[in-house]
Parts: sequence; structure tokens; C-alpha cells
Amino acid sequence: MGIWGDLLLTSVFIAVVSLALFWMAAFTLWWQMHAWRTPEVLASTRFSRPDGGEHVSFSLLLPARHEQAVLDHTIQRLLESTHTDFEIIVIVGHDDPETAEVAERAAARDPRVRVVVDTHEKKNKPKAMNTALPHCRGDVVGVFDAEDQVHPELLAHVDHAFRTTKADVVQGGVQLINFHSSWYSLRNCLEYFFWFRSRLHLHAQKGFIPLGGNTVFVRTDVLREADGWDPNCLAEDCDLGVRLSSVGKKVVVAYDSDMVTKEETPGSLMSLLKQRTRWNQGFLQVYRKKDWKQLPTFGQRLLARYTLMTPFMQAFTGLIIPLNIAIAVFLDVSVTVAFITFLPAVTALVTFVFEVVGLHDFGKQYGLRVRFVHYLKLIVGGPFYQVLLAGAAVRAVWREQRGQNDWELTSHVGAHLTSAEVTRDLREDVPA
Amino acid sequence: MTSTLPAVTTPKVPAQRQPVPETRSTGRTAPPNRLRSSRPDLILCGALLVAILLVQGWNIADYPTLSDDEGTYLAQAWAVQEGRGLAHYTYWYDHPPLGWIQIALLTWIPAALSPESMTVGTMRAAMLVISAVSAALVYVLGRRLSLPRWAAGLGMVLFGLSPLSVVLQREIFLDNLAVMWTLLAFALAASPSRHLWHHFGAGIAAATAVLTKETMLFVLPAVFVTMWRHSHRDTRKFALTGAVTACALIGLSYPLFALLKGELFSGSGHVSLWDGIKYQMTRPGSGFILDQGSGSHGVLQSWLYYDRVLILGGLAGGLLLLVTWRWSVTARAFAGPSCAVVILALVAMRPSGYLPAMYVIQALPFLALVLAGGTASVAHAVLRRRRSEEEKRYVTGGRYALAAVLAIAAGAYVVPRWYDGDRTAVTADANAPYQAASKWLATEVADPEDTRVLVDDALWLDLVHAGYEPGRGAIWFYKADLDPAVTKTMPRGWKDLDYVVASPTVRRDAVDLPNVKAAIEHSAPVAVFGRGDDRIEIRQIQTAAGGVR
Repeated sequence: MGIWGDLLLTSVFIAVVSLALFWMAAFTLWWQMHAWRTPEVLASTRFSRPDGGEHVSFSLLLPARHEQAVLDHTIQRLLESTHTDFEIIVIVGHDDPETAEVAERAAARDPRVRVVVDTHEKKNKPKAMNTALPHCRGDVVGVFDAEDQVHPELLAHVDHAFRTTKADVVQGGVQLINFHSSWYSLRNCLEYFFWFRSRLHLHAQKGFIPLGGNTVFVRTDVLREADGWDPNCLAEDCDLGVRLSSVGKKVVVAYDSDMVTKEETPGSLMSLLKQRTRWNQGFLQVYRKKDWKQLPTFGQRLLARYTLMTPFMQAFTGLIIPLNIAIAVFLDVSVTVAFITFLPAVTALVTFVFEVVGLHDFGKQYGLRVRFVHYLKLIVGGPFYQVLLAGAAVRAVWREQRGQNDWELTSHVGAHLTSAEVTRDLREDVPA
Repeated sequence: MTSTLPAVTTPKVPAQRQPVPETRSTGRTAPPNRLRSSRPDLILCGALLVAILLVQGWNIADYPTLSDDEGTYLAQAWAVQEGRGLAHYTYWYDHPPLGWIQIALLTWIPAALSPESMTVGTMRAAMLVISAVSAALVYVLGRRLSLPRWAAGLGMVLFGLSPLSVVLQREIFLDNLAVMWTLLAFALAASPSRHLWHHFGAGIAAATAVLTKETMLFVLPAVFVTMWRHSHRDTRKFALTGAVTACALIGLSYPLFALLKGELFSGSGHVSLWDGIKYQMTRPGSGFILDQGSGSHGVLQSWLYYDRVLILGGLAGGLLLLVTWRWSVTARAFAGPSCAVVILALVAMRPSGYLPAMYVIQALPFLALVLAGGTASVAHAVLRRRRSEEEKRYVTGGRYALAAVLAIAAGAYVVPRWYDGDRTAVTADANAPYQAASKWLATEVADPEDTRVLVDDALWLDLVHAGYEPGRGAIWFYKADLDPAVTKTMPRGWKDLDYVVASPTVRRDAVDLPNVKAAIEHSAPVAVFGRGDDRIEIRQIQTAAGGVR
């Protein structure tokens, strides 16, 4: 009985685990490919062409911390917007005179730029934006980061979207662009591509959406009603989206490759790990805040639960798949059980293939030359990236358990800017 | 502002629902997006389905003659149901097992209710399910390829009522199941919603078709062409790579299965996938199909004997669609089926390939569709081409008269021939000798448990139900020579046997099988059923002393 019983138990156990993983991966894949389901869905993810009318005024928040090198460029570019009714509110810290100086100079040059000083002892992005919220005069509050490249026609498109869809929130696309920098930046760029190009639209459609950290526009009254951002949450952007969609606010997502806000990947593997840890921890916090429980339907709550837990399940999957296959090959289980253990690997393979096609599409959309070596990096880097994600997930749980809620610092280099304008050091990292 | 022209405001257009830029060619009669909610389509398809099922189902057990292959697949399905593995002898990778696993599933409930029903004649009824699904899919596919309703119905009739189809689709052949999966793949590839997961599903269905009968590999390019034509430029790369990936991954499960069993490569003491493929690839050729006197030519003649219309008309229709590619909307819509017809025709024309009689089964739906498409094309040319609003009435009348004449001529040619063929199918009794032999062996042999009989595959299950021991008592005749596991049980050769059921198949193949040949030579008929070459003899083994064993 002994060995037989053990083998049977092992067989049942790995079959159950494999099937669970298979369904999880299949759903994730289904959602990831949302935008490409039918040509009609793909067409609906774009901004519709603005009609030239303007009815919405904007207050654009620009939190900046140790950003003196890039801030001025970003402000200049925002001022080139074709929209006529907007103000830029730069938020600087009282302990950061260099950035404040750049901001004040810009404000002196153009009346549309104003400066708000954040005097909090411990600083973070949500606190900074909450400081600026009472000063906003526009109908809509928009959030950008200090190193963002914003398209001049974006505001006109967002204005049109607000008017024609009666939305409370419009989320524009954000895209990491420096895929050539390293093996992980390639995967990082593609993650953004699938998230903003495809997955977010599904969330908007289902009525549960974790918002991105910038290129996000919220009606000012809605934002004030919601008391702004949660200053204690590590993923305040995600949290805001969850809170707004849980009370039934309408969120619209639009993605146009020439209208996205371009960003850069973290400059080192370590900073990527820290950034991801913070997001994961933030997701965990949002999950534990339970705002999503107000969602009206069971399906929505399930989607919320699943989405907020995804990083952890992803980590788990990455570790289990190889283990499962090893069991199937080396243990003497039946052929049926062995087949079942291969199911999660099959979905992983399909995901891989779609990622390769996604990379091709990414190159086409942005006019970037994707070479063979990049495809190779994408494939070979896959398992290693999985290890990184798993590490970040484990770290997040660890930190949350020990109550470490501070923002870890990450450094960025201006890799996405075409000329070597800047190299910046320590600044607070930018959530997407 | 950037705009210098007076801006046209269209406030009614919702921002998030843009129409797709239309790049698809527009057919004459755009099919409704949802066929299942179109009443005329449902009625027409349903009525034709009833007719097809009546003709195919009536007398299904008695005509055509039980085939050896039917027995093989059903017996293997029986082995699957009984939990004896993938075959009741060693599974040797002759075909992927998915085909008879499906037959096992299909016959599971009737076999569980009454185990004796698991014989070839009775279980042919299960094939009606496959025929019905396939025929309905032909209609759906025809409509999705923008055929008008009448032409899609014509395709369904050609596919389901041609005497050739009636004969072949009644039989328990893996090809019939594979055709159903292929048609599903085509229908999904031509899905009007152009949904990513429909195309993915098409890949899965295509792989299932190949794993059901490996010759479906030839048709895969045609599925791909259909998908290419029906996908949208913006989502095509995702749809097509998805489909190819799905197809490849499902297909790879077969070698993976062999690998997990340690039977991927050949080695001593076990069968292997490699050896199975080698056997199939090196089967002796049956000659050039147009070479009179070759085996392939005989096979072609046997097809044409049942129906010329579908084969020659289908080939002509395929050619017509290829030639009119530039002008005809239908021809372009039918790129997939035409491609399938051309590929299958070319493969059949290999100078020294092996051409089995059921090869034509996989071509039947495509021949039917391109013939229907070609007919629709001709009808359109006669009735609509260069027709203007102010055309004289007598010209229009002439068009309709010409169309009527063509339709009547075609009907006059086809209907009497099909009537004869189908009447034979619903009235002839070709299996009386088999049934009599089965009955004799069940009633006249004293103790079946201890009796050893060489029998062909078609009768094997009958003997098992009559109490003979599967494998050792009821022996597939050629296993006596070819399967070492069986040969081992008969150390004295033919002397260890009691009976040989010499059916036409056994007599034909005995030439190359020494044990079977010896058994026939050392036996005498105790019962003979039927006459001439089709007779079935039950021969009892005579020992040297002159008595029975």
C-alpha cells in the first residue's frame, strides 16, 4: 500500500495543482489578448478623433522630486499642447531647492504654470498630489510625472473622450519605450504594451480597474469627493481606480501609439526589483483595504480578487511549472497524469508565442526596429524574468508582514530621451 | 487651433465604438452574422439534414459490405472502453489513437446499455451523428464563404446524398471523423466575427483532425488560406500565429505521448512511433492513378462507379473557381476549399504513392463545396452579369430561360443516376453471409471458450460477444503471423487452431501470411455462406490423421 498510496496521492495532488494553474494561466492569457479579440474591439481601444470643440479645462499635476535636470523640458513640452484651457501645477518639496528653482523659473515665464510646495515631513507622491488638489481650478485633474514625454494633442483627445463618453475618469496609454537597453527592459516594455494596449480596456469594460500612475485624468469634483489619493498606500494609483470603480464611476481607457506618454524602464535590475516589490505590496494593501467588496456583481469581485492577487499567483506559477514537469518525467505517474502536468506549460508556451507577436506589433506601432536578437532575448529572458517577478512577490509579502511601508528609492536614467540630455540620480520612482 | 476647415461636429458618434475599417470583399449575399437565429437557414438546413439522415441511415447495417478496417477501429474502440489500453493487441503507432478513442466515446452509452451491440453492423448507426454534424458544417461553411442559401443547400446535398458519400460515410472510418474536425476548423477559420479565439479553436480542431487521421495534414494549408482571407489586417498576425501555435501544440501531444511511454524512437523489444511512421511512409505504392491497370486506377474506378458527378464536377468546379479568380467574388471566397481540392488531387496523382480507397472521403466536403460554389458562380454569371436597370425585358427573360435549361439539364443527368445508387444503398443486403457466419459460430460451436479461430476484423467483435476469448481464442488472422505475442501462443502453427473463417479479406491476404495460408490449406469448409468470390467459408482444421483437432 505504502508506495502505491503515496504515488496515487502525488498523482492526484499534481493533477489538481496543474489544472488550477492551467485555468489561471488560461484566464490571464484570455484577458491579456483582450484588445486583439476582434478587429472591432481593437478599433474601440483607440481615442476617437477630436471634433475641435473644447469644453473641459485641465489642471495638470506634475509632482517633481530631485528632477531639476528633466523638469523644465517636461514643462516646455506640456505647454506646447494644442488644447487652450489648462494649467500646470508643479509640486515640489520644501527640502528640494534645486527643483523648486527650476519650477519657479518656469512659472515666471508662463502664467499657466504654478508651483505648490509640499511641506510634509515624510514625503511621497500621494501626499504631494493631495497637497495640490485644493489649488486645482480645472474641471479635470490630470497627473503626469516629471520625466514624461506628453503628446501635444493628447489633451484635445482626452477632452473629446470626456465629452462623448460621459466618463468620470480617462486613462491614457503609458508606454516604456527603451526595449533595447537590456534584457529585462525588453520584457518590461512588453508588459506595459500588453497592459495598456489590451488588458486595461478589459478592466474598463468590466467596471473594475486599477488605474495607472500617470496620464490619468479624473473629474475634479469626483476626485475631491473621493478625498484624493490614499497617502498611506504604496500603489495609490491602483487604489484610486479601485475605489472609484467600486462606487460605479465610469472609467474609459484609450490607447493610441502616437498619443501615449513615453517612459523609461528602471535603470538597474535592483531598482526594477524594488519598484515591482512596491507595486506588489501596494496591490496587497489595496486587497486588504477591501474597497473592492462594494463592487455590485460577483464576477467583478472575482476579477478584483484575482487581479490584485495576480503577482503572487504569477510567482507561484513560475516556480511550480518546472517542478511539475520534473515530477511527470521522473516519477512513474500514469500517462494521463503526466499529460495534465504539461497543461500549464502549454499555456505558458502560447503566452510566449503571443509575446513574440506582441513584440513585433510593438515595433511596428512605434516604428522601432526589432531585431532577431531581441526576439531571442525575449524568449531566453522569459524564465529569468519570472524569477525576478517571483522574487519581488516574495519580498512584497515579507515587507508587508514586517510592516515596512516606506517608499524604496530607485534611480532612473533618461534612456528614452533621444538626446543624452540628462542623467538623473536618486528620485522617487514612478509608478505606471 | 490646428483646424482651418470648419469643424464638422458629430456628437452622436460614441467615442469608444468605432467601426472597423472594412477591408473584406463584400459578397453578393452577405450571410447573417448569426445563422442560428436565421429562420430560413434553420429550416432549409434542418430539412436537408432529415433527408440525408434518412438515406444514410436506412439499411445502414446491411450495405455496404462490412470492411476489415471498420472492424479494426471498432475493436480498438472496444478495447478502449474495456480498459484494455489503446488496442486489444499491442498498439504499434499505426495511426494516432485519437480516432478510435472518439469512436469509443461515441459508442460508450449504447455499448454500456447492451454490450452485444458493439459490432460493426450495429454501431454504424453512430456514424450518423458524425454525418449529421459534418453535413450541417458544410452548410454553415458554405454560408460563411458567402454562398447564397440555395447554393449552400446544394453543397450540403452533394456532400450528403451522393451515392459515393452515402456508401463511405456509413462506414466506421476514421476519415469520416477527421472530416468533421476539418470542417469545424474551416468554419471557425471563416468565423464572421473574426474572433481571435475562434481562430485559435480552428487550430485546435485542425490538429484534432490530423490526430484522428494523419492524412488530414495535406488539408492544413487550405485551413490556413481560409483563415488568412477571413482575418482582418489589424489582428491577423495574432490570429494566425495563435492558430498555428494551437495546432502545433496539440499535434505535438502525440510524440509527447510516445516519449512519456518511452516509445518515441525504435529500439529492440518495443514498438515505436518512429517505426510506425516509417511503415506508413514506405507502404508499397499502388501506381499512377491514370495508368490503366494500376491499383490506384482501380481505386479511382471504384469511386467513379458510385458517383461521377461529385468527383468530376467537383474537380471542374475547382478549376473554374481558380480560372475565374480575378473576376469572381465567389472564386476568391472559395480559395480555401479550392486549395484543398487541388492539394488532394495532386497528392492522389503521385506516380508511386499508396492510394487507399477511403482517401476520397476527406475530399468529399471540398468537392461538394467547390461544385456548389462553381454552380453559384455560373448562376450569377447567367442571371446578373452586366445586367443593368434598363435591360430589355426579353433579355432578362432569356437569362432566366437559360438558367432553367441548365438546371433541368443538370437535374436530368444527375437525378436518375443518384436515384439508382441511393436505392441500392437503402435496399441491398450485402452482409447476409457475415451475419450467417456470425450466427453459426455463436450457435454451432460447442465450447467457444476453448476454441481458437482465425477471423477477420469485421467479425472479431461478434466472436468476442459469443464467448470466444479475445486475442487468444478469437484471433485477428494476420496477428497469427505478424504479432510475436500471438505467434508465441501457437507453437505448433496451424495445428493449434480449430477454425479459420475465410472471408474475402482473409483469402486475399493469406498469400503473404504463412500461418494463415497453412491453416486454410489444412482445413475443410464446414459451412459456406454466400456465393462466388464474396462467399464466407467456415473451415475446420484437419490434423494429419484426418480427424479434427
